[in-house]
Amino acid sequence: MELKHIETIRLEGMLPRVFLSDPHRASDVWLTNLTFCRGERYLIEAESGAGKSSLCAYIYGSRRDYEGKLYFNSQDASSILVPNRQAIRRNNIAYLPQELDLFPELTAWENIQLKNSLTNHFTFQQIENMMERLGISFRRDFPAGKMSIGQQQRVAIIRSLCQPFDFILLDEPVSHLDEDNNRIAAMLISEEAERNGAGIISTSVGNPLLLTDAQRLKL
Amino acid sequence: MQLSSKLLCKNISTARIIVFLLSNFLGLAIVMGGLQFYLDAKSIWEEDDSFISTDYLVVNKKVTSENILGQSSVGFNEEEISELKKQNWVGDLSGFETADYHINASLETAGKGVSTAMFFEAIPDEFIDVPSSQWQWKEGSREIPLIISKDYLTLYNFGFASSAGLPKLSEGLMSGIPLRLSLSSEDGSRCEEFYGRIVGYSNRLNTILVPLEFMRWSNVAFGIGEVKKEPSRMIVKTTSPGDVAIEQYMNDHDWEIAGDKRNAAASFMLKVVVGIVLAIGVVITVLSFFILLLSISLLMEKNRGKMHSLLMLGYRLKAVEMPFRMIVVCASLGAWVLALASLILMRGAYLTQIEGLGAEPAQAWLVPLVGLGLTLLVIGCNLLAVKKRAFAAYYK
Repeated sequence: MELKHIETIRLEGMLPRVFLSDPHRASDVWLTNLTFCRGERYLIEAESGAGKSSLCAYIYGSRRDYEGKLYFNSQDASSILVPNRQAIRRNNIAYLPQELDLFPELTAWENIQLKNSLTNHFTFQQIENMMERLGISFRRDFPAGKMSIGQQQRVAIIRSLCQPFDFILLDEPVSHLDEDNNRIAAMLISEEAERNGAGIISTSVGNPLLLTDAQRLKL
Repeated sequence: MQLSSKLLCKNISTARIIVFLLSNFLGLAIVMGGLQFYLDAKSIWEEDDSFISTDYLVVNKKVTSENILGQSSVGFNEEEISELKKQNWVGDLSGFETADYHINASLETAGKGVSTAMFFEAIPDEFIDVPSSQWQWKEGSREIPLIISKDYLTLYNFGFASSAGLPKLSEGLMSGIPLRLSLSSEDGSRCEEFYGRIVGYSNRLNTILVPLEFMRWSNVAFGIGEVKKEPSRMIVKTTSPGDVAIEQYMNDHDWEIAGDKRNAAASFMLKVVVGIVLAIGVVITVLSFFILLLSISLLMEKNRGKMHSLLMLGYRLKAVEMPFRMIVVCASLGAWVLALASLILMRGAYLTQIEGLGAEPAQAWLVPLVGLGLTLLVIGCNLLAVKKRAFAAYYK
């Protein structure tokens, strides 16, 4: 079943399996009932090793090693078949992984096109404008592998926006950006989220995305 | 090419694909060539005589020095015939009737003529499996239907025609050329001309057959009315072909069954040789299949990270599989096309040779289809492997 929109993402007693034997820790996310709503903003703060990337991977469907339940609207996420999951990745959930996952041999432009040619979401002009705003247009035709981490992070942010979405998952999106670029990135992401009526779920270990009106959750 | 395909094709080893292509081509060419040759050539040995079914045996006495010197007869006498009739494997039998006059046949091809003395034999129509419209002679007709031994055509083509500088004739061509037959009585008092029309060739009847009706009429017309001779050959309809008792009976009486002992051995040898060739071809094909399987698996393993990243971007599994599928399909079909081309060349080289030996070539589409089937099997198995590998890249 393809979902038109994901209005809520609900976690019920969820816990990464690797934490099963660990002593219980207070968390706003794990082993609770938590609902992320479309249109809301969430900042998840954690120490490293608390399972930020795991949470993103569980929601995005690239890992399944958790206990408890995860629901999109009322559908159990573990019952979603691969073709529908791929459709969700194109239409409902955008994701910026912590490791960025850019292709080092492709240029910044090609990396972005790799996503945008799949969704046809933006025009070339719109992408160029975003690159301009984030200050990486001079690296347009530069291989991603030879760019600094901060520049790569900005390429990956643009790439993650190249699709319609109900939620955007950002895993430490600005860990290598200065405050100015952080602010610009936050603005860009907010604009796109508003345009889509989407929710934002962003994680950090001390350098949060500078979103306004965000609920803060401790992992 | 799409950006995603370009990404995945970066690690392709052309050398490995070429090794697969060549080995698969070699395997397929051997399988297809062997099979095609077998199908084309088997009609030389294998008895598929449309005129005389295998239920019929032609029995004659062995020619020994005794019956040459006249101490015993080569013909079957009444006693022998009635004893033979009593055997429980005998359904029906009849002697061969022979012509009691001189026959001279002449044939003209390409302006050159050949002429030879000939003989006729006849058996009742019920032993012959030719549409009665073709196997008919009415008094007054100048045209005589004939069934001749295939050996005569071979003798002509490879013995006579090559040495006399005459063109070789195929079965079809030979049947189209009228054979001039002049029949004359022993004392030369009567002589008449007829035309022979060959309606068929037989491997198992080492003779020239005419309709019994013609034989009876001509023996009266040209013969000198001698006492009826003992038939030297018998045609026997068996109720149980292949019965050991038949062999036993023949040995006991020192008789023999005309036909295909030698042919059976040759046919068996052909089967063994073709079996070996096919086995080699199949082994090479299977090995080449594993080369492709390993190459694709290795390539996909190398690309696992890239495939995972593309799937993370939301690419469909099919899109990620596509470049690998293309490699499998193109390389396999390429090998098949090459094998098909070599099959056509090879067949062209041997076909005229074996046609001269009296082979009836098999249909040309069957073997390419078998090759295609094998190719599709290789493709199918590899596509399954591609699917499995692509799915394995889905989760990290």
